[in-house]
Amino acid sequence: MNKSDGVWSSRRTALFILALAACGAPAVAGERATAPHGALPMPQQQQRLDQLIPGLTTPPPGIDPTAWTSIYVPAGNELTADRIALGRKLYFDTHLSKDRTLACATCHDVSRGFTDHRSVSEGIGDHLGKRSAPTTMNAALLQTQFWDGRSPSLEEQAKLPILNPIEMGHSDSASAMAAVQSDPSYQGLFQKAYGRAPNYDDLGRALASFERTLIFLNAPFDRFSAGDPRALPPAAQRGLALFNGKARCVSCHMINSSNPLGTDNLFHNIGVSARTKNFEALAGQALGVLSQADNSQALDKLAIETDMSELGRFLVSKRRQDIGAFKTEQLRNVGLTAPYMHDGSLHTLWDVMDHYNKGGETNAYLDGGIEPLNLSEDEINDVVAFLFALTDTRFAAQNEAALREQQAIAAKTRPFRDNALAHREMLPFEQRVIGPAGLK
Amino acid sequence: MNDTTKIPHIKSVETRYQEERETLFRGLHSLDRRSFLKVSTGAAAAAVAAGVSNHFHSFLPVNVAYAAEGGRSQGFTFAYISDSHLYVKRTNERFVRQLLRAVDDVNKLDPQPDFVFYGGDLAQLGRKEELDLGAQILKSVKAPVHMMVGEHDWYFDMGHRWNELFGAQTYSFDHKGVHFVVLMSVQEKDFWSVRGMSPAERMHTVAGLDNAVQSAFEVGAPQREWLRKDLEKVPTSTPIIVFSHSPLYKLYRPWNFWTDDAEDVQAVLQRFDRVTVLHGHTHQVLTNRIGNIQFHGMLSTAWPWPYAPQGLPALTVQMNRPNPFDSNDGLGDGTVTVHPDGLVDKLYNLWNRDPMQVKASYLSSGGKSDTPVAPTLASY
Amino acid sequence: MNHPSLLALILLASMLAAKADSQNAAPQPSSPAADSGGKTVKLCDNKTTVRVASDAPKTRAEGQKISDSLMAQWKATNPDNNWVQGEVEAHQVVTPADNSKLVGTGQSSTYGAVTQQDVQVWKNETYKTAVYGSKVFHSGDELGSEIAVSCDMCHPRAANTHPESYPKFQPQLGRVALLRDMINWCIEHPVRGKVLAPDDPKMRALEAYIIAQRKGVPLDYGKR
Repeated sequence: MNKSDGVWSSRRTALFILALAACGAPAVAGERATAPHGALPMPQQQQRLDQLIPGLTTPPPGIDPTAWTSIYVPAGNELTADRIALGRKLYFDTHLSKDRTLACATCHDVSRGFTDHRSVSEGIGDHLGKRSAPTTMNAALLQTQFWDGRSPSLEEQAKLPILNPIEMGHSDSASAMAAVQSDPSYQGLFQKAYGRAPNYDDLGRALASFERTLIFLNAPFDRFSAGDPRALPPAAQRGLALFNGKARCVSCHMINSSNPLGTDNLFHNIGVSARTKNFEALAGQALGVLSQADNSQALDKLAIETDMSELGRFLVSKRRQDIGAFKTEQLRNVGLTAPYMHDGSLHTLWDVMDHYNKGGETNAYLDGGIEPLNLSEDEINDVVAFLFALTDTRFAAQNEAALREQQAIAAKTRPFRDNALAHREMLPFEQRVIGPAGLK
Repeated sequence: MNDTTKIPHIKSVETRYQEERETLFRGLHSLDRRSFLKVSTGAAAAAVAAGVSNHFHSFLPVNVAYAAEGGRSQGFTFAYISDSHLYVKRTNERFVRQLLRAVDDVNKLDPQPDFVFYGGDLAQLGRKEELDLGAQILKSVKAPVHMMVGEHDWYFDMGHRWNELFGAQTYSFDHKGVHFVVLMSVQEKDFWSVRGMSPAERMHTVAGLDNAVQSAFEVGAPQREWLRKDLEKVPTSTPIIVFSHSPLYKLYRPWNFWTDDAEDVQAVLQRFDRVTVLHGHTHQVLTNRIGNIQFHGMLSTAWPWPYAPQGLPALTVQMNRPNPFDSNDGLGDGTVTVHPDGLVDKLYNLWNRDPMQVKASYLSSGGKSDTPVAPTLASY
Repeated sequence: MNHPSLLALILLASMLAAKADSQNAAPQPSSPAADSGGKTVKLCDNKTTVRVASDAPKTRAEGQKISDSLMAQWKATNPDNNWVQGEVEAHQVVTPADNSKLVGTGQSSTYGAVTQQDVQVWKNETYKTAVYGSKVFHSGDELGSEIAVSCDMCHPRAANTHPESYPKFQPQLGRVALLRDMINWCIEHPVRGKVLAPDDPKMRALEAYIIAQRKGVPLDYGKR
């Protein structure tokens, strides 16, 4: 992949075969990292990545080639091997953080599902943010970035954590660029990739280019969709039927060959933060703050550092309907990316099913599509089996380990399970309005 | 179906949290006002800082303190809930849940409305159990509640249980300088005797919006006479707000979006300077003006109706088609802000959409100014 | 709709059946024994009977009387018998295309031209399918709703069903939906009933009713 730009299209077929041959990255069980913030050390991560993606990717199986052409790539940042190579080097470079403890790959760790397996991410000085790191796998296929969609592109997204005071902590782009250029090789790499001296916007562009190669869409589900009935075990097949039917998942987690991620790219309030937050007070507060300064960095601070984070999409749109609404996350490789939701408050996919089964969490802005599902325990198990079948086969062993781990947790604790609500004996809003005794 | 009896009763952390919160909240009632203010200071801080009260329904600045002097009315706000169509909980818990959501909404209004108006069709099939359930839920409304009857409440026992629970179906009252009139506009001519229908069959026929066997709604001569007498001593300068379940004009007969003697009722109201009619039944954003009378629909909490294929008033800015995958879309409740001059701004608090406000100035100007902004929501 | 002719068809069919039965009634050992003064004539439902005097004249008029009596009894005990008329009285159902211009036109076939009866049969059968659809559409029980919800509660006279836009991509299903897919989604979720097989008579009838109500609207598949 280190040759010239022209390589991109000419090598597709060969690389495609290589990509398939690379199935089965080693499992992580037992082996643990020594890098700061729990990440696998960068050289080891790079080795793994080499095994996962031995070269440039082509439209992967399971995605319609026509749809692939509609993926948003800003003008001036067309994919080239040089840009990808530069982005890859930056992705693993700890110079991007002020104290050199974090690279992108710290919270989007190749060995941890391209995320960090933490409820919320840990930045410089061990500061905790307010949001859970989403995976960078397939992020290129999302229409917006961040849980609240506040960045319209990977290019814009990549530049924000570097400057966030409690994430990577550079005071401004100049400071970040100075730190990066302590490695003199960047001068040439930027020049090769963009034909000009290193600058912060091109840094964002290069990271975006690299992320566009992180496509992991070859799952048992895709083989099943393509006509192999043995690709999914019976439980997962029942789960798929429930996913499309009684469990109502598909209403937001759209999944098909043109849009294979399992997201509608929209924002919904499913009540995750409603339990402990006073939305009205927070919304008033946020409007006050944003009336003073309304730019992407101010927004980023609210989202990462304050309780107003819980307002979700409202911070971006300032529309009441978006209070407490977060982006429908992709379902691809979901078995690998625990914990779940914007605040990482749900630890297993059983927790996720329990949350939805009881109709989310009651609040005035709850999406009307969220209602108690009346799923039985068997049905919940079936849907979870299906969700684990959405993991790319290159992670088969890791997926199996994650499943066992989640099974063990769920066997011990299911904090979000609520039978009376799930089976519609106690109704959402009933307790709030009538009192603990409920209706006669 | 699940055999829930086999599963031990398990409460989620959230339910337990709610229980604790409710206990705490109920405990607050016993605190004196000063302590209570202390508790709620945090919530109010932002609003105070911004210099306006943020009416959380809308995030539109609402002038809470109206000047009492000078105007004929002092200006105030009331809320509404309408068309809940309750079955008993074991038959259909969804409509029950949705009414509860509306009650939760109006209970959280800050400041609280002067009263909450219920726009009719509390029950779906007029049964005692349905009306009793509705009455129990509405008891949890913190503000005083005024009730109106709808055809779904009436045609099983011809209003017997509804009257027992809520009193007369036709009445009037005065509030802060405005004269309010509540009508029973869903009288039907007897179509059932000749067909030998049982009360249940009669109710079922009326309950079908597009059922052509029933007759057209009307206020009827006796009630019109009552209205004439009720308004006799009211000066023409007094603002009048009329509640009727069906729209007090003729929109679309096949769905009974219609009042057969609408012109006669309008004639009684003609001599007043400012008249507003608020109606239920149509389950949608609906706006009209006929002469001196401004008309507003109310949202349902149960299900939305499509717009009628004909007869839609030109002044109506439509809400677009509700999304059937969202069982709350197109539904909601709302508030009515009565200006000191007696005209009203009507707020449709659409669940999961932006709220939509239809101002008096929009109607007074014949649609020339303050055109309401319809909630933008992609057609599904 | 031309109900009188439809009614006539139903009546005619019933009468023929009743007459046939009356001819067979006497020899059947299981039928109630004739008493001295006459015999019992039984309707094809095997339940409804009428006594006929033995000296009753064997005229067409008398036969009609017997038949009328049987039918009147049967109607009284089966109030839903004329569900088509009842349904149409309550819920307007748009009538199918008029093919009467085809009467007398030839197909160069063995049996010649299209007859009035052909046209009537096409129309009646098509219309009845749509009317049955209306009955299902308006009944939570027919739809198997667990929560007493029926289609008309959101779609009076099938308003806002836009059958002309199918097949179309339905984002909330994540795939291309046919009208029947959307009907089934509504049955499963808002109505909370049991989904229907694509060839279930109720599904066929629901589609017929919904399409009937949008007669004249140009097809525009894929429209959002």
